Amino acid sequence: MSADVFGGLDLQNLASLGQIAVKSSTAVLLAAYGEIVAERAGVLNLGLEGMLLLGALAGFAAGAATGDPLLALGAAACAGALAALLHAFFAVTLGVNQVLSGLALSLLGAGLTGVLGRDLLGAPGLVLGSLPIAALADLPVLGQALFNQPLLTYLALLLAPVLSWAFASTRLGLVVRACGENASAAYASGVPVRLVRFGCTCFGGALAGLGGAFLSLSYTPGWKEGLSAGQGWIAIAMVIFATWRPLRALCGGLLFGALTAAQFSFQTQGAELVPVWGLRAAPYLLTIAVLTLVQASARLRRYSGPPANLGRFFHPEG
Amino acid sequence: MRSSETPPLLSCHGLSKRFGASVGAGGVLANDAVDLDLYAGCIHALLGENGAGKSTLMSMLSGWLTPDSGEMRLSGAPLVLRSPAAALRAGIGMVHQRFSLVEALSVAENLALAAGGAPDPKAAAELAQRFGLALDPRRRVAELCMGERQRLEILKMLALGARILILDEPTSVLAPSEIGTLYANLRRLAGEGRAVVLITHKLPEIAGAADEVSVLRRGRMVARNLPRDPALPDGWNMAALSGLMVGRELPGESAAPRRKPGEAVLRVRGLCGQGQPPVFSDIDFEVARGETFAIVGVAGNGQEALTATLGGMERPASGSVEVLGRPIGPRTGRDLVAYVPEDRHGAATVPDLTLAENLLLSTTGSRGAFFSRRAGARAAAAAIKALDVTASGPEALARELSGGNLQKFILARELAKAAPLLLVEQPTQGLDVLAVSEVHAAIRHAAESAAVLLVTGDPLEALALAGRVAVLFRGRIAGVVDATAPDAFDRVGRLMAGLGAGGPDMGLAAAGGGH
Amino acid sequence: MPLRLVLEPRQATAPLRALISLATTLGLAWAFGSLVFALAGADGVSGIGAAWRAMLQGALGSALASCWVALFMAPGLPPRLLLPVALAAGAAGGAAWAFAPALLKARLGVNEILSTLLLNYVAVLFMEHLYYGPWRDPAGLGFPGTAELPEAVWLPTFFETRVHLGLPLAIALAGALWWLLARTRWGFRARVLGLSPKAAAYAGFRSARITVTAMCLSGALAGLAGTGELLGVQHRVQDGLASGLGFAGIVVAFLARLNLLAVPLAALFLGALLVGADQLQTELRLPGTAVLALEGALLFGALLGEFLAANRLRLVRRGRKEPGHVG
Repeated sequence: MSADVFGGLDLQNLASLGQIAVKSSTAVLLAAYGEIVAERAGVLNLGLEGMLLLGALAGFAAGAATGDPLLALGAAACAGALAALLHAFFAVTLGVNQVLSGLALSLLGAGLTGVLGRDLLGAPGLVLGSLPIAALADLPVLGQALFNQPLLTYLALLLAPVLSWAFASTRLGLVVRACGENASAAYASGVPVRLVRFGCTCFGGALAGLGGAFLSLSYTPGWKEGLSAGQGWIAIAMVIFATWRPLRALCGGLLFGALTAAQFSFQTQGAELVPVWGLRAAPYLLTIAVLTLVQASARLRRYSGPPANLGRFFHPEG
Repeated sequence: MRSSETPPLLSCHGLSKRFGASVGAGGVLANDAVDLDLYAGCIHALLGENGAGKSTLMSMLSGWLTPDSGEMRLSGAPLVLRSPAAALRAGIGMVHQRFSLVEALSVAENLALAAGGAPDPKAAAELAQRFGLALDPRRRVAELCMGERQRLEILKMLALGARILILDEPTSVLAPSEIGTLYANLRRLAGEGRAVVLITHKLPEIAGAADEVSVLRRGRMVARNLPRDPALPDGWNMAALSGLMVGRELPGESAAPRRKPGEAVLRVRGLCGQGQPPVFSDIDFEVARGETFAIVGVAGNGQEALTATLGGMERPASGSVEVLGRPIGPRTGRDLVAYVPEDRHGAATVPDLTLAENLLLSTTGSRGAFFSRRAGARAAAAAIKALDVTASGPEALARELSGGNLQKFILARELAKAAPLLLVEQPTQGLDVLAVSEVHAAIRHAAESAAVLLVTGDPLEALALAGRVAVLFRGRIAGVVDATAPDAFDRVGRLMAGLGAGGPDMGLAAAGGGH
Repeated sequence: MPLRLVLEPRQATAPLRALISLATTLGLAWAFGSLVFALAGADGVSGIGAAWRAMLQGALGSALASCWVALFMAPGLPPRLLLPVALAAGAAGGAAWAFAPALLKARLGVNEILSTLLLNYVAVLFMEHLYYGPWRDPAGLGFPGTAELPEAVWLPTFFETRVHLGLPLAIALAGALWWLLARTRWGFRARVLGLSPKAAAYAGFRSARITVTAMCLSGALAGLAGTGELLGVQHRVQDGLASGLGFAGIVVAFLARLNLLAVPLAALFLGALLVGADQLQTELRLPGTAVLALEGALLFGALLGEFLAANRLRLVRRGRKEPGHVG
């Protein structure tokens, strides 16, 4: 049947587009979840970009040296968490301006990875490919998009409902939210506020580190300077767009991924409708547009308040 | 209420706390060898003016501060508290004046946060019922009124097994009718074998509730565990307690002479605020020259937004505000209103600028592109002199002034504008007794030549200063009461609680209705 | 090693250059100006983002604008006017880049740290597009970058060093900015808005307008910084034209503790440091990103310093606490 040929081709395209879209969203998603956890606990960490890069380099280096995927991912998570620890020390212990401390971390991450990674430029390394999930991967379209992905992409997809549930229904989630909303009330209830904030910041750093590892091990295997290309900043914008909710971040991240996939598709088809640089700039511009939309719509804004104590220093003695 | 042989539940001996110097005699001695005994079944009132050291003492009892010296005993056993959590484990719970609730969380979640475990609305409802404190566990704290929030705070403490309940200024956020409910609840809880402490600087409010009184002045306990005197009508010798609290003669607050009010200065017509539903609506009134008009309400009934609109900081959704026929708004007529907002440190002044610069904040008219430090310094010096402000000079930073002195400076700055309308919001909140009387005197003086609009949460202040008192309830003027009427206080109280005035209303649009 | 650097004839001018000559210094001096400006105009935290945007995009945008003037209008303009017009175009370009995020911030409250950061990537992409594409030097043997600008638009240099007209201009601008903030009514209002938006509303200032003006002004200053880099040092638009300039501006402003008059000193300090790093980089064959690491570390160091200073202050203040504050 002619419909078969026609539809089959289209579906094939759609499936691979979907796969690229979901894949492209992974790093942004992991970083955004990490930032949500940290911000929900009251710590603003603008060092995502630096942590992504550090995670990417550490994961790549460990992977290239040992060939062990678990060690590579572990190294990436540790690198991200350690970088976050530095920020947590400045933000939570010393109480300095969290914006500046986060920027410093982004700078440091970009600079250090540039210096440390110079010998790894273009070097071959470990590649974490797709792990299709048996029967499910054969489903039309969705199978390719959702069940034929690298390990970290599955993590990115699963983490949204898990985090969402944890915030709503567990003691730990309650404690984290309380630290971000009203630290002194949490402290009065016996919550070790600073410990929780340290933990959440480091957890966020570990997730960002994994996001970085995804970039250097699965997405564009190999190390290159500044390979995250601003995905850390996009993740921060995503957190605002998602109004600090993991499930909405998932939607935002997938939107970003779809845009990236569309850009690839345009490029391969040689579409001259939009100049290439415009296509490459589209994710950044669209993120700004989405932020503007959230701000402009009173209805959206009503539900989009940041945690009340976000970025605020807490010290038990006042 | 107790026999003299009963041992105290909690006894403090020689508690001292110094701020500002780690060793030696520097700094400020906030508590100086304070003794206090608290007994089960007894409601104890701790009196003292602002800065007397009440909060320091209670912070030590509830684990927020560690005493420098002295000891505490709980049922005879030595007690050392290193954190609020430790105090809670020992059965001491404190309800701060600023509630420590997480507004974004529900009642049940707040309870779970304090008591442990995951949030459970059913268990929360049972708990509320057990202690007779009505609360809906599913509602978010942000939606609760102040009385409900206070009940939640108390319930939190009870859920943690508190045997000693300390409440800091518990009546300051409540409507008069809610105060009755609070005292009934506290009486019942004390009857179940708990010790209750009320910290307050408002003498009349303890009359009905307390079994015992202690008075703190400048860090020292000047009267300890005074029992109620059944021979007196209120149970207490108010004048004596007042003298103990202040330690000096206060300048008497003479009632303002009633003058014939002049022309109408402020006209407010059909004013509705922003928001859905509007934060306030259908506000109509007039204030005449030489008259003081007060708007009172419990916090959260729309007076913050209404005041900002009357002062020209916000635009109303509809309606008009006019002074001498000219509209007031963000860009218009600001020179016609001398405006003293509630937020002294953030809105009325910039803490990091000098007094000279702060003086230019609200008095910069359209006088060219340059701003003159010298003119500012001159005017600031004049303001400092006018109301006897304690400050090192016009170059002092606003943050260096105490609350009372800063308020006097702001008042002097605004009065110097000689505007036809003076708008003052919560002018004496957090000030000590002396500063309160000075601020009141300045407002009375201003009322001789201008129209004065006073917005306050304190009905006593409104009745002391104003000729007419309008009560704001849920964004509307519930009624206007003549301050000279003998039952004025009761009627204002009933209106604040939303119960209706229970008497003839003066009418909302009675222009210049003073006598 | 530094001693050897000084003594080696090939490097003989290095220390001198390190002290005053590097064009970075003047770029920084301008950068700081725009930063402090933005800080005064918006609240402290967001001001940094504003400045950051101003730094990079403003620098690039204005450099492009002045480059355009130099490349395409040069034949039609009298040579005497060329340099002023190029500078003015640079400033205007910077202000224009700043306008959109400023408006979004002032009218809708869109977080300008994010909007400007994201626009940075757009600016870089656009610039790459130009010098890889339509503006590429045909005689450049495929090397990405525009042709060298005509000498008429080069900023004059002094004493055979790389110190160019931008340095005196930057110092003069620092003074002018200080005067603007300290002595004019607009400056006073901008300072109040920066310290307390609520007080600005109380005083009836037009906050949105002040924010937009301040951000555009800072954009114009950053534009001058980028133009200085282009017309004074690199003389062509190419890869890495303004890299590091924005971050350096933040570090400088922070080191100067937001005091305009202290900024030239802080800029000089960082400039000298960066020149040292530049030498080291060449010696050790480090990649250009090493400068970013240095700036990040410096910013952390400055934050630590601020913490220590603030804590000393806090102790002093505690000592002076009045009884009225205690109760």
